[in-house]
Amino acid sequence: MPRNRTRITLARHEYRAAVRSKVLLGLIAIAVVTAAASVYIGAVDYRSQLADYNAYVTAATANGIQQVAPMPLQPLSLLRGAMEYLEIIGAVIGITIGYLSVSRERTSGTLPLLRSRPVSKTQLTTGSVLGALAIITTLVAATASVSVLSLGFIANTWISGDQIVKLALAYLAAIVYIATFYCLGVITTASSKVAANGLLVALGIWLCVVLVLPQIGDTLDPDNQVPGGLFAALTLDKAHEEQVLSHFGTYETVRTTIENASLEKHFERFAFAMTDVKDKYRGFTLGQLLKETLVNLIWLAIYPTALVALLYRSTRRQPTFNPGANP
Amino acid sequence: MIATVARQHVRSLRRQHVFTVTMFTFVAMTVSAGAIGWSSHNTIVRVYDDATALLGAEGKPAPPNPFELVAPLAVLTNLVIYVPLIGSLVALIIGHLSVADDQATGIGRLIFSRRLRRSSYLAGKLQGTGAVLAIALAASWVVSVVSLRIANGDLPGIDELVRLAGFELVSWLYLMVFALIGMTTALATARRSLGLLSGLGVWLVITFALPQFTSGLRPTTSLNPVTDPVNTSQTFFQITANARPISISEQYKTIGAHLLGATTDATTADVWLRTLPILAALAALGALAWWLVSRHDYSRGTTDA
Repeated sequence: MPRNRTRITLARHEYRAAVRSKVLLGLIAIAVVTAAASVYIGAVDYRSQLADYNAYVTAATANGIQQVAPMPLQPLSLLRGAMEYLEIIGAVIGITIGYLSVSRERTSGTLPLLRSRPVSKTQLTTGSVLGALAIITTLVAATASVSVLSLGFIANTWISGDQIVKLALAYLAAIVYIATFYCLGVITTASSKVAANGLLVALGIWLCVVLVLPQIGDTLDPDNQVPGGLFAALTLDKAHEEQVLSHFGTYETVRTTIENASLEKHFERFAFAMTDVKDKYRGFTLGQLLKETLVNLIWLAIYPTALVALLYRSTRRQPTFNPGANP
Repeated sequence: MIATVARQHVRSLRRQHVFTVTMFTFVAMTVSAGAIGWSSHNTIVRVYDDATALLGAEGKPAPPNPFELVAPLAVLTNLVIYVPLIGSLVALIIGHLSVADDQATGIGRLIFSRRLRRSSYLAGKLQGTGAVLAIALAASWVVSVVSLRIANGDLPGIDELVRLAGFELVSWLYLMVFALIGMTTALATARRSLGLLSGLGVWLVITFALPQFTSGLRPTTSLNPVTDPVNTSQTFFQITANARPISISEQYKTIGAHLLGATTDATTADVWLRTLPILAALAALGALAWWLVSRHDYSRGTTDA
């Protein structure tokens, strides 16, 4: 069998086996439904705000006003909730796919069978990775389709060509991000004698990286300590805010270092820049956005590269024959 | 017999180092909450001083200090986030292990070769799990008192100590809900990992999905103890807000924030009323666990796929 065909066959096996898992399908359903619901909620609100803005434009034009205020609404920003669900639930799904991939082969005993054919361990791993990528892409594509259709049908806003490119990049980053957690799930499970312990270790790392570190960074931000923002409560504008914050250099360095240790934060910053969530990026071209988020892109490349290398190493060490299931 | 099952459960958790990990986790999250609270509080006071000086130099009036009326216990507000986020996951795993271990190791078969009623077995497991969580929360209470002494420069008064104990009690009730979720998902599924992941799915729904549906709180908003008001005037929220009582993580956060003095939005009576959904969840899950235990076939082991 040609090498590529072998890999594709193995990837297909991985994909089919994964979608047979009820738990995985359940988690994917939770991710898609919650993402769709968050876009729906935002879209309904957006539709009423858009109607208000259109009424204002009509009234202003009828009264002969030349300078009409630009629309303050950004339709892509309605995807913020959907992106956040991919950050949290998507990462759990990635770990689950990785865990199931290893534990399934261990308990079903298909590994010795596969190894009795002319298939190398590298081909096996590549096939599994490709299969996992196909599952992750299906999940992200389903979330993206539901989100874009919700924007069109509920918010009455169909996204433009430029926005499609930005959105595609954000979802591509989501695939890389979830695939990184897939690698983590495989590594910890393959390194544990008891597969369930590997799953627990991966979930512990997920908890720290996805929830605890960003939470600490966010909570240490002085502006997040008062509802509506501390600087707004102190009636300080941006220039004054920067002047005050210049006295807190070390504190801000510690805070941002904690945030930067989290892969989740890098994905979030990139995805939010691509979906117009942050006002500071308003009016930026795609080139400018990519330049602004270059550091995040670099981190989004470093983490998966390192974990893919570890994944190949850990799966090579996996014994081919593992008699009996090990709970 | 109940005490014997409880002792065996606690011993098993100690042998697997789960007890030590639980203690470490609760102490670490309390220290972390205290350190973050102290650090951000100090920074804000300094920011306020700088802002006042800056505005004063420009002849503008000084705004009121946003932290002037903050209660001493508010330094620990982050605990209101850490308990549902980390503590509940730990409780879920303890609950899961209490059942899954007996199935995997065959201890279940051994235990039921003796004269033991299923209800006594469940009561023993709950007693053991409850004791471990209570010890961890008691340690958290002691660390909280030390943290408050360091952060505020003064020992908390009797009223504050009682409020802190009330917070730990409500936390224990909330954590027991998740321990029961861990037990029931392990009992309801044939495979160990399936049980763990199903429990995790329920945790995700309770912690992130329900607050979004009932109150419009985005997942990352749920991670910050201080949140901006969300516009919930839409018809969607007018309907889903009726289901807010079942969003127990929101109920817990409101009760916790009130007990720690971080919010004055709710009255004391209203706050205690909010414990009812948590108690109802405990009762419903307890009944479900009893039903599942009484029908469970302990002669079969579990697999790990």
